[in-house]
Amino acid sequence: MLIGIDVGGTYTDGVLFHGNSIIAAEKRPTDENDLKNTLLQVLDELLKAAGKAEIKRIVLSTTLVTNILATGKGERTALILLPGRSLPYSEYKICPETYFLKGSIDFRGKETESLDKAQLAQIINDIQLSGVKKLAIASKFCNRNAEHEIAVKKAVQEKCPEISVSISSEISSKLNFPRRAVSTYFTAMTIDKWNEFADEIEEAIKARGLQTEIHILKADGGTMPLQISRKRPCETVFSGPAASTMGGLALDQNEKNSVVVDIGGTTSDISLIISGQPLYASRGARIEDKFTHVNAFALRSIALGGDSLIWHDEDIIQIGPQRQGVAACFGGEHATVTDVFNYHLNLGIGNSEMSTASIEKLAGKAGMDSADLTANIVDMAVERLTRTIRDMFREWENEPAYKVWEVINKRKFHLDRIIGIGAAAKSIIPMVAERMQVDCLIHEYSPVANALGASVVRPTLAVDLHIDTQNNYYTVDPGGLKEELRKAGDWQLEDARQLARTHLDKVCRERGMEEYAAESSFYMEEQFNVIRGWSRSGKIFDLGLQVSPGFIKEYKGVEI
Amino acid sequence: MKPTGILFFPAFDWAISPTHPEREERLLYTRDQIFEEGIMDFPQIREYQPGLATAKDIARVHFCVPDIDTHITEAHLVSAGSALLMADAVMQGEVRNGFAIIRPPGHHAMTVTHGNRGFCNINNEAIMIEYLRKKYGVKRIAIIDTDVHHGDGTQEIYYNDPDVLFVSFHQDGRTLYPGSGFMDELGGPLAYGTTINIPLAPKTTDTGINYAIDNLILPMLEEFKPELIINSAGQDNHYSDPLANMAFSAKGYADLNKKLKPDIAVLEGGYSVETALPYINMALIMAMANIDYSNLREPDYVPSRFKESKRNLDYIKDMVEKQLNVFRKREEIIAENRQKAGDFHSYHRSIFYDTEYLHEDQRNELRMCPQCSGFRVINSSCQHHNGRLYKVSCISVPANACSQCQEQARRVYRDMSSYNHYDFVYLQDRLGDEYRSFDLQKDLEKVL
Ligand SMILES: [Zn+2]
Ligand SMILES: [Zn+2]
Repeated sequence: MLIGIDVGGTYTDGVLFHGNSIIAAEKRPTDENDLKNTLLQVLDELLKAAGKAEIKRIVLSTTLVTNILATGKGERTALILLPGRSLPYSEYKICPETYFLKGSIDFRGKETESLDKAQLAQIINDIQLSGVKKLAIASKFCNRNAEHEIAVKKAVQEKCPEISVSISSEISSKLNFPRRAVSTYFTAMTIDKWNEFADEIEEAIKARGLQTEIHILKADGGTMPLQISRKRPCETVFSGPAASTMGGLALDQNEKNSVVVDIGGTTSDISLIISGQPLYASRGARIEDKFTHVNAFALRSIALGGDSLIWHDEDIIQIGPQRQGVAACFGGEHATVTDVFNYHLNLGIGNSEMSTASIEKLAGKAGMDSADLTANIVDMAVERLTRTIRDMFREWENEPAYKVWEVINKRKFHLDRIIGIGAAAKSIIPMVAERMQVDCLIHEYSPVANALGASVVRPTLAVDLHIDTQNNYYTVDPGGLKEELRKAGDWQLEDARQLARTHLDKVCRERGMEEYAAESSFYMEEQFNVIRGWSRSGKIFDLGLQVSPGFIKEYKGVEI
Repeated sequence: MKPTGILFFPAFDWAISPTHPEREERLLYTRDQIFEEGIMDFPQIREYQPGLATAKDIARVHFCVPDIDTHITEAHLVSAGSALLMADAVMQGEVRNGFAIIRPPGHHAMTVTHGNRGFCNINNEAIMIEYLRKKYGVKRIAIIDTDVHHGDGTQEIYYNDPDVLFVSFHQDGRTLYPGSGFMDELGGPLAYGTTINIPLAPKTTDTGINYAIDNLILPMLEEFKPELIINSAGQDNHYSDPLANMAFSAKGYADLNKKLKPDIAVLEGGYSVETALPYINMALIMAMANIDYSNLREPDYVPSRFKESKRNLDYIKDMVEKQLNVFRKREEIIAENRQKAGDFHSYHRSIFYDTEYLHEDQRNELRMCPQCSGFRVINSSCQHHNGRLYKVSCISVPANACSQCQEQARRVYRDMSSYNHYDFVYLQDRLGDEYRSFDLQKDLEKVL
């Protein structure tokens, strides 16, 4: 049996899944001050339902790291940046305790300015005096040569063994120094608290006598073993929305273009699925207003949910964004979006009479006819969702392109269907689908699709490889390794692909996900001849190989 | 403040030939640099997706012989289209200014196109200017060509247009391709003084170029009052460029752009792909987006490395004074030219296409119109690689033409079309935004 638990901001959802159905589902309000406790309560309920059956895997999605960063409760962390001679230092507004160090590397991995040892000694001194215990280090182009970062880390650790150090080459090898610096800074800031949490979870599982794999859901919709997450806490941010998107996809897996709309209490989260694959945010997850290298789904949130309050200001009827309790049909005091749809479409949700009463009261105060009022609100809500969905298509269609064929074959989004999830989806989504003239899917599991998604998604992994045959090296991520090329002579694209596959296989073995290695595919393949003086003196390859988001092998879908 | 628009189109899948300098790798390190800097994430920057130019956009500027499809690859359509898209963003007020970092380049492409010249097939800036005129009614424009090579294509296209101020500084034509751009190339009789060339000695430094900018280019811009300033932004004046011999730096390029304040900059040449382009492109972006660039420099740059000689500076001072004088007297001279002119001004040109080794012969006839800058007839012949000799007649009506010129040009087009001497006859009617080509052999007319 499989367990998926999504610890969200308001509610924590969990499911026990087996075969093609949910055996048990559990929902509880999240205690923000004790996430672990909420999580374990849900887990215990699910375990009770499982009885003596074996639990093969538990996948957790949690807002712990997101919360630490959002509330500024991360540990005090200093940052050493080596930006080289380009932008003014004043542009790096990442961390209040930032130290700038001279030394630079270029895009070919060549050192263009050596480390300033005297300056480094001074910085280490200052950091030690400041009493900070966490340090992040980021150098420009460390993805081509991490020597400077490693040397600085070593110097710090020799002088101050009590300071724990994170370097950016171990976090990401993607271009974009500020994003890498931010990701490393956030990692250093949350790593201890995340490890505490991981320890507690491991202990709790042990205390319950379970022999089970524990995985953490990442923002990219895949899982990673708890052990691996200990070094990469930032990858757990935004895993809640990822769980929802994957849950929507789990309800009906196919190669279609879909939009997943998760209608919650006060917001709707919208994500796109293109030919069966969720769309990533092209700039990486934005945490606390800063771009990072965390791979996350492209997601739009709008302030419109089932509990959004309906109110009027003189002649104008408005929706939300505020919430004043649940819908009237569920015992709330005021008319909400759910009540409006309930009344307008005669859906028979909850206590329908209360929906009618709340709407008639509001209509009376506004001096409007109830039918007109609800028609009006339904139209507004559907229009806002439709517009947001269309905006997302347009944004995807207008992503920058760097090759001729990408421009000539300009992509166009043809929507096949809308998948509604979340409690209020049933009432709202069919009308959105009707307006957009596409199919819609609402499943009996829609209300707990997030936890379902968590329980059945497979691990993901991306390997980025950069090869420079003129300078005879390659760098590879994850790991931030730089190695000499063993194969001399002419490199062809296939040789480069082989090298990427070898690394992917190795990491898959380390993470116990060998069975998915064969399903990897290249998401980037770039090859350049290095021309010097009318002849070729080498080649540069940039390759990206990934096991993309999907479902574990034993998951064959749910009953429709 | 509004952001600066950046359109980065490196054409990673296009090269003139496998080992040609105009190759896929050209903007690779620039990509690495600007993406690693993360500057596209900055609120001061807005990144744009490439666009596609249409055949009509091209026909507004060029006579492609025998037709557009023969010379224009999809890469050219994207490169030119991207310049148009950047121009739209500026004109519609989405951005304060824009930089199109695009390839293939265009400033050596002339009105008549028989093939590739100086790595260029079609002129991105000219296509953009005619688009701006048509779509937004812009009239007066200044183009500052900051490529090390003389922008002979752009000069030829606007040689007779008094509403376009074309200024090019470049390495002296006696020492570098294309061998033109001398001080006495000053524009046609009715557009005298709105073409200004600043030929510079090899090894000219930041000091020399900045002197010309401060004392010639900026005063001219001040007096000409263009509605738009365009930087035809080559990057081959750099001290490390393998195809030229100047001593300009990335900081020099940043200073230049800070002073010029171009509304739109369009990348042209520059082949020091590893030691110059990444830094110059960053310098340009920072200058245009008003970001302090005092910390920026190339890894091998030492401020004291290049020093301007007094002799060269004296030469530049003298040239600046002469050219400014000519520019200031231009209206007088044009009036004189009009007085003494006949009905038509004719001249002969022979044009060499270095990339494809073609020789073109041209006879130009410009109507000396009392109302406008006059329509032009270009009779051109050139033997192509397929062995075929093309004889064509091209009739061009400028955007600011009077209706009399337009009517007369149409008549010439009809007359030529019935005269068996030519293989193709073309009419470029910018005033009516109508572009005709007539294939005499097939007796077939096409209209765009
Ligand atoms: Zn050039
Ligand atoms: Zn006229």
